[in-house]
Amino acid sequence: MKKKFYAAIALLAAVSLAACGGTSADNGSHSSAGSKTDIAESPDSGVAADSSAKSSATGTVKKGSGKLIVYSALNEDNTIALKDQFKKDTGIDIEYISLGGGDAVARVQAEMSNPKADFLVGGSVDLYGSLADAGAFEQYDSPNNDDLDPKFNDPNHYWQGWYMGLLSIIVNEDRFKEELSPKGVSYPETWDDLLDPNYKDVFVWSNPTTAGGAYIATACQLFRLGDEKGWEYLKNLDKNVHHYYKGAGDVISPVATGEFIASIAWAHDSYKTQQQGYPLKIIIPKQTAYEIGGAAIIKGGPNTENAKIFMDWLLTKDAQELSVSTSYRYPVRSDVAAPEGLPSLDEVNLVNYDRTKAADMKEDVLKKFDEEIISKRT
Amino acid sequence: MAQNSSAKESIKEMKRLKNEPLLLIAILAIIAFICLFVVYPVIKVVVFPSLTDYAKLFNNQRWFTALKNSLLMTLISTISCTALAFLFAYVNNRLDVPCKGLFRFASLLPIVSPPFIVALSYILLFGVQGIITKQLFGIHIDIYGRTGLWIVQTITFFPYAYSVINGVMQAISTNLEYAAYNMGATRWQVFRNVFWPLCRPGVAGGALVAAINVLTDFGNPMMIGGDMALLPTEAYMQISGWYDMNTASVLAVALLIPALVLFVVKNFWVGKRSYVTVTGKETSLEPYPIPKFIKWLLFGITMFFTIFILLVYGTLVYGAFTKAWGYDWSLTLKNVQYVFLKGNQIRNSIVYGLIASLGASLLSMILAYIVQKKQVGVNKLLDFFAILPGAIPGMFLGIGYVMAFNSQPLELTGTAAIMILALMFWNIPTCYNSATAGLQQIGNSVEDAALNLGANSFRSFKDVIIPLLKAPFLSSFVLSFLRSVTCLSVVIFLYSPSTTVGTISVMVLVQSGQWGEAAAFTTILIAIAFTVLRITQGILKKQGIDLKL
Repeated sequence: MKKKFYAAIALLAAVSLAACGGTSADNGSHSSAGSKTDIAESPDSGVAADSSAKSSATGTVKKGSGKLIVYSALNEDNTIALKDQFKKDTGIDIEYISLGGGDAVARVQAEMSNPKADFLVGGSVDLYGSLADAGAFEQYDSPNNDDLDPKFNDPNHYWQGWYMGLLSIIVNEDRFKEELSPKGVSYPETWDDLLDPNYKDVFVWSNPTTAGGAYIATACQLFRLGDEKGWEYLKNLDKNVHHYYKGAGDVISPVATGEFIASIAWAHDSYKTQQQGYPLKIIIPKQTAYEIGGAAIIKGGPNTENAKIFMDWLLTKDAQELSVSTSYRYPVRSDVAAPEGLPSLDEVNLVNYDRTKAADMKEDVLKKFDEEIISKRT
Repeated sequence: MAQNSSAKESIKEMKRLKNEPLLLIAILAIIAFICLFVVYPVIKVVVFPSLTDYAKLFNNQRWFTALKNSLLMTLISTISCTALAFLFAYVNNRLDVPCKGLFRFASLLPIVSPPFIVALSYILLFGVQGIITKQLFGIHIDIYGRTGLWIVQTITFFPYAYSVINGVMQAISTNLEYAAYNMGATRWQVFRNVFWPLCRPGVAGGALVAAINVLTDFGNPMMIGGDMALLPTEAYMQISGWYDMNTASVLAVALLIPALVLFVVKNFWVGKRSYVTVTGKETSLEPYPIPKFIKWLLFGITMFFTIFILLVYGTLVYGAFTKAWGYDWSLTLKNVQYVFLKGNQIRNSIVYGLIASLGASLLSMILAYIVQKKQVGVNKLLDFFAILPGAIPGMFLGIGYVMAFNSQPLELTGTAAIMILALMFWNIPTCYNSATAGLQQIGNSVEDAALNLGANSFRSFKDVIIPLLKAPFLSSFVLSFLRSVTCLSVVIFLYSPSTTVGTISVMVLVQSGQWGEAAAFTTILIAIAFTVLRITQGILKKQGIDLKL
């Protein structure tokens, strides 16, 4: 009987040990199986060796070998496109996981004492700031960033801006034509068009206290109109808002499926949904705001040299073009065209968005937004 | 009982453990396990923010509102979950009606569905433009907000309460009721004074599980909560929307407080009475018949909710085969083909789920046995430990694991082990409640008899308790597996490129707006969960055990 009890304890111990011991074996089999499916579309490295090094005009990239572990806050298709092309150009294998920008930051921060990844890519550089302060990033000043607008380069070289995302107004075309066009409403072209009472209860937005993207849109109005008129605008817009979603991207699916008619969202996020076949119109209004999309090398990661090569590569003309064509994001290089169907960056009328001021006033703005708008809703 | 014993008695009880070294070792091992894999990661999260971060909690009106809303939703959704669960369990165990299999099927669906995607299904059916609300009935209702969230949470979480209540109700002998009727008691008297008291441990255990699930729910409020701020969503959005780990940790800690209150309430309500029915003799009497009118009324209500659930999931399955979710309904197989490219992730889901569930149900059963049947001086502490993981939002358990197990001597990040351990400890409260509810039904006399005949603690555990616990053990094992396969929150910070699981893909797909593929992935995960359930049931049937969840 005692034997049986020992057996029970042993079994319990075995379970926990199996959980630990099984790891290495699991890892081995998974990565081999995983890489097979992941690289299925990319040609072998023999082809890669043929593609010559880039000329200095389009950005130089060294060759490399081995792998690179990337936490990617980009859309997965986009990540795979970059991964495949990077392998072709440099011979380095990317292993990635796809996750939201905030989740990626949380992970890098939690793993700081012993980093598991080499590179963080995607998401606004606003989120890179706190990680840089915490010491999570390796300083690196890519030789390919010299010709970029200075706003894309971190003065301390912890992060690198490598794309731009623009705020857009999104509209469900089907419902718009059915319900708003007959009333004489035409597609919104400016932020002020959204104040039209016809949008009442068919317009949704995200709550800036929970969504960083919605805060950029809020600050955009304050920069565009000044403090007093800006708040007046936000309060008037609130009259049309059916409700505020928690996340910046949460508004897209309800508009795409026609649950609501219009909202404000990132153009590149909405594009992903539009590509699924939904009648989603993406409009870049005048005086819009933007985010700078970041990339950074994680300090103490296992493949730091390859991470530097990847950083250089992201800034090449070819990589920028690939990013634009697969994601609807604007390039940072002036010699790369804007996404198809969107106005070029020169034509886009950007609001004078002061990032430092936006960060400084954040706490007060959110408090006011909560007290004067959110808590006044029933 | 331990609850009434003074510190002195506790110490006396602990001293007595010297005579049962194996029991002592088991207790120490369990305490060590839980300290390492639950308490330590939680402490990591608690000490992460600075005191200034904590001070912010009191300066911000928003978070008080969130706390208030969370408590309110927990209260009303738990009541409705428990009531609905009781109804389903009663119909299943005590009524002679058709369609019971269908009811059981419907009550399992919400457990096996990953978050987010189902909310899309609700909106499609019952939203402002809903197929049912607007297209079919032409009514304009607004599901965004408290009422909508209440309905959705009730449907989503009542199955957790049901599985506990049902397990207990199955074990209640009808003999006592017959005895009461024979002595002239009215139906109401029998229900109130005989049946209900016997159900109470199950009802309380079930309500607790439902309450903790509601309290830590963030998927439904994100999609349907409207303007309502709730603690878990605020905490999650501090990470996901504002990249602020410090504030997120503070809010997570704030969530622990109501969870502790739940624990105290549960002990107060259930702890004081004895509920013994299994005394060694089995019964096979049919349930006492109830009036036709009541029977069919209960049947009707159950059927209504069943159809509601089937509709929601039917939409999900149908959506898996359409070109653009909610817009282009023409059929396609592209979504399903996509899922087959990710076979590796599905395999991971199954393997991790099986190992984690085996560990969780074994550990929970031993733990529940010690807490219920042995006076070891630390019963209350062990009980608390066992339900503690349930009070921690899955996501924060995950973050705690990353912080705690990222360096030597226990470097587990990026491995399969960390996924399995996190899922295992996350499932312990579910398994533990099920085991406890089962154990509370077993009289001490059976065991005392074994002890008097010379068996030691473990002999009586093995030969007397285990056979009686087979049903709750297996149901908790399967339940735990179903939860693991469809769990997202716990693993969201733990997976690595080679240990990705199915639910992660669902989340990534939803974020990319690929809802068709997400629905297909969800459908296949649900299908796997049910297949495993059916296989288990098939195997058990051969051994004469009827596993009903």
